[in-house]
Amino acid sequence: MRSAECARSIFLRCEPIGGKVTRGSTVRPFLLVAVFAAPLRAQTIDDGMLLPRRVLGTGLFYAHDGWNRYWEGGVRRENGNIGTVTTQSVTWVMGYGVTDRLSVMTTGPYVWTHGSQGPLHGMSGLQDVTLAAKYQLVATPFTDRGTLRAMVVGAAGIPASNYVPDFLPLSIGLASRRFSGRFTLDFRAHEGWYLTGSTAYTWRTKVTLDRPAYYTNGQLYLSNEVAMPAVFDYTVSAGYQHGPLSIPVSLSQQRALGGGDIRRQDMPFVSNRMDWVKIEGLVLYRGVRLGVSRILSGRNVGQATTLTSGVFYAFHL
Amino acid sequence: MGLVLALAACDNTITSSEALPPLQVASLDSNAGSWRMIVLSGPTQFTVATPAAETSAAYAAELAAIKAAQSKLTTAQRRVIDYWAGGGVLRWNQIVRELVARFSLPPAPRPDGTYPVPDPENPFADPQFPFANPPYAARAYSYVAVAQYEALKTAWYWKYQYNRRSPARIDSGIRALMPVGDLPAYPSEDAVLSGVTVEMLKVLFPAAVAEITQRAAEQRNAALWSGRAAASDIAAGLALGKAVAAALVARAGADGMKNAVGNATQWKALADSAVARGEIPWVSQESPPRPPMLPNFGQVQAWLMTPTEVVTERPPAPPSTSSVQMQQEVSEVRRTVEHLTREQLAIAYKWNDGAGTYTPPGHWNDIAAEYVRDARMSEVRAARAFALLNMAMHDAAVGCWGVKFAYFNPRPVQLDPGIATVIGLPNFPAYPSGHSTFSAAAARVLSYLFPQSALDFDAMKDEASISRLYGGIHYRSDIERGKEHGAVIGGYAVRLAQVDGAN
Repeated sequence: MRSAECARSIFLRCEPIGGKVTRGSTVRPFLLVAVFAAPLRAQTIDDGMLLPRRVLGTGLFYAHDGWNRYWEGGVRRENGNIGTVTTQSVTWVMGYGVTDRLSVMTTGPYVWTHGSQGPLHGMSGLQDVTLAAKYQLVATPFTDRGTLRAMVVGAAGIPASNYVPDFLPLSIGLASRRFSGRFTLDFRAHEGWYLTGSTAYTWRTKVTLDRPAYYTNGQLYLSNEVAMPAVFDYTVSAGYQHGPLSIPVSLSQQRALGGGDIRRQDMPFVSNRMDWVKIEGLVLYRGVRLGVSRILSGRNVGQATTLTSGVFYAFHL
Repeated sequence: MGLVLALAACDNTITSSEALPPLQVASLDSNAGSWRMIVLSGPTQFTVATPAAETSAAYAAELAAIKAAQSKLTTAQRRVIDYWAGGGVLRWNQIVRELVARFSLPPAPRPDGTYPVPDPENPFADPQFPFANPPYAARAYSYVAVAQYEALKTAWYWKYQYNRRSPARIDSGIRALMPVGDLPAYPSEDAVLSGVTVEMLKVLFPAAVAEITQRAAEQRNAALWSGRAAASDIAAGLALGKAVAAALVARAGADGMKNAVGNATQWKALADSAVARGEIPWVSQESPPRPPMLPNFGQVQAWLMTPTEVVTERPPAPPSTSSVQMQQEVSEVRRTVEHLTREQLAIAYKWNDGAGTYTPPGHWNDIAAEYVRDARMSEVRAARAFALLNMAMHDAAVGCWGVKFAYFNPRPVQLDPGIATVIGLPNFPAYPSGHSTFSAAAARVLSYLFPQSALDFDAMKDEASISRLYGGIHYRSDIERGKEHGAVIGGYAVRLAQVDGAN
């Protein structure tokens, strides 16, 4: 899902996806409707919200991600041979409320990368398409202060083009197929503030390189196939919603369950152990979303600052 | 569909493309003791003492020790046996490829923008010694291969002097856990390999001494536990291997490698000389700028060519940096990089073998290994194959580097800063292309050794060479002259092989 995608592609940028339609709001065809976003990676797939039954939502999001410091294993450094790495993306999102408890969602990003120094060529292309299903297990009044909801999300991502994964940090993605399961718990108080916690586990398939051998994690592999470590992430966020305006702040962490470190003076590799801790703030107003996030600490990732923006429309079918 | 995808996600096992089944040789090559030597004066330069008789009490004790060991083998020990059953020369070639990949990252810059040089006398310092760049790697592969080859020919000579059989052949109570044929066991070829290789690798990759000595010990243990060799076979083999290695180590200490890095005065002189000829000189594109890689490697002692031949076989000068031809070649690079197809990109990555990999010579060893394995070559014949291949590639490095630093010409991105590369830019002059030279030399040798696959090697050589244009880092001239140069150098190895008695 977006989170897993985002996670492994921290050298690149994954675009956050937009917000959602509020539950119970009246929706008219072709009208821009208020959206709420849930915490962090606040992407539609990862937030704690659903689309109401028979509502179709679609949106376009733009993200700009940049870093000039990165962690080579655990050592933070700059590299004059690449300078500042910028990743931009435009993502199209579409979601549909199948029932009031089940939504499906798909996202497709177009990504382009650039290094500000050195002779290396940036890359661009269609990255990975993700398909997700979100199901609300329970939504119930809790204490008398608000509503508690629990949700599970299953998602699958697949590369949508034959892009090169083996040219990090300028590759647009890791070219692995991903399957993830997420569990989200969300408490929404009547006064408007809310708390959300979410965790996900992502499996990733082997990646096939264009070369017959590679060295990683202390070993030479005489194969063009790379085993990818699974990834685990969690997020906590707090926000305040007043009418059509919602402002969440979140803290999230990703841990890879395996993978080697970038060696001194080496280039990053697809199966590196990519860990990070990130803080993000979002402003959501009706169908518009603006966000900024910053990697606070990490391993084998860039210390990226990311700006995101998007618009989302919903229609009642 | 989702289930299929999900199941596909579960299989994360990587299959090696170079699995080595137990080696059952096609021929014993019993006359290998008479094959021509490269460096040694002959197979009797080192003697191997007469062994105890098969009927002696001392030997009987050794056989009993093997039986005892075989009766309590652990799973770990069996894995060691299975590993080395694939063939000693082939396994060491895999290990050396891994060592090269481990050490092929350049030193990091100091805060003041200068670069430290790895010090062989202080190999565990930062940066570790060595920086196994392509010339260093070519030299390392060749020293290991030649040392193994000389040692095994010597071993074969003495094996057939004494004709002492393998323990598994002598005593029916000893099981053959690796293929044991009719090859005489004294001295043990596995022990010879372990001794000669460990001594060469301790000099070439001193920071990996712990792993190297452990692997060598495992090879000897495998020979013992598997019933292939008795303790005295192994002791004699180990001593012989070490003795031969000493001769090669002495050559390595005096072959000119010590001076290959050069110094600031020399680096400046190279640029000044290019300017004096009216040419644009090579300039490092790294940040901070890094001294050129091994500018004096062209003066290292070649295996197959005399110093005079090294110079006379050089290709002519590259097109002048101010010439129309150069302009056209630069434009070709720019056009190519701006219109790369996915297939061309794949070719650029397939053959890049840049920093952090086993380098281009390693890639050709990777290719050769599968042919050597499939031909079921005896250890001495396999050693010959790798020696011929790696001597050719070493001399290709010597020849190529000599030309690079004679002309010191700039990379395409220097003449057109708009050229962006899809692979890393090597930190040394462009003309001629190292990949092309290595590949043509290797293809020449492999086509001689495996004539049925000559067309395949030719295609690989062409693909490896053009991959550098796709990568945006070489001109057409670099590739064409490099291929011609490499073929000429490979010819020296082929002519040597044609009369060495192994055909």
